Amino acid sequence: MAERTKIDARGAFCPGPLMELIAALKLIEVGDEVEVWSSDKGSAKDIPEWVAKVGHEMVGVENLEGYDSIVVRKTK
Amino acid sequence: MSSQPLYIILCSAEHEKVQMAAILASVGAVSDRPVEVFVSMNALFVFDKRTPDVDRYAGGRFSALLKEKKAPDALQLFEQGKMLGDLKMYVCSMALDVSGWDMDRLVDGLFDDTLGLTKFLSDAENGQLITL
Repeated sequence: MAERTKIDARGAFCPGPLMELIAALKLIEVGDEVEVWSSDKGSAKDIPEWVAKVGHEMVGVENLEGYDSIVVRKTK
Repeated sequence: MSSQPLYIILCSAEHEKVQMAAILASVGAVSDRPVEVFVSMNALFVFDKRTPDVDRYAGGRFSALLKEKKAPDALQLFEQGKMLGDLKMYVCSMALDVSGWDMDRLVDGLFDDTLGLTKFLSDAENGQLITL
C-alpha cells in the first residue's frame, strides 16, 4: 500500500507549496504519495498543471475550509 | 522530453522584478525546462554577499507586501531552482569589470560562472528570452 507524506504549506505563498511538494517527491519511493495542504489560491491549478507536465499522477484535489488538499503520486 | 529553454536577463535591483525573475527561474527549472539567468547592471548589487539580508531588497508597494507577508525569499527561490531543477546562473562579465568586483563578492552557491552578453544572447536564440 502506498505511503503518504503530508506537507502543511498553508500560509506559504507561490511558488512555496509547489517547491515543498517537489522536494518531498524527491525523497519518497515511486508509487508513494504526497499530500500538500495549501492556502495559496493558485496551487489547486498550478500543481496539477506541473504534475501533468513532468509526468507524475494526480490523485485528487479537495477544497477544504480555507485551504486545498492536493494529493500527488510519484510515478518515476 | 525537455521544453524550450528559458533565458532570463535580470538587470534591475527592484525587489518586484528580482522576485519575478526568481519565481520564473525556479518554477521553470523544476518543470523540466532548462533555465539560464544572466545578471547584470543594478541587479548585481542584489547578490552582494556583504549586504545584510534586511537591506537586500528595495522596491515599491508590492515589495512592502512581499516583506510583510513573508513571501519566499528570491535568493532562496534561485537556490531551490538550482537544487531541484536545471537552473544555471551567470553574472555579466562587463558588470564585474565595471564594478571592480569578482565572483567572490557574490553570495555563495548561486552563480555557475561569468559570461559575456554575446554568448548569452547566442545561446538564447534557441529558447525564450525574458528581460527584467
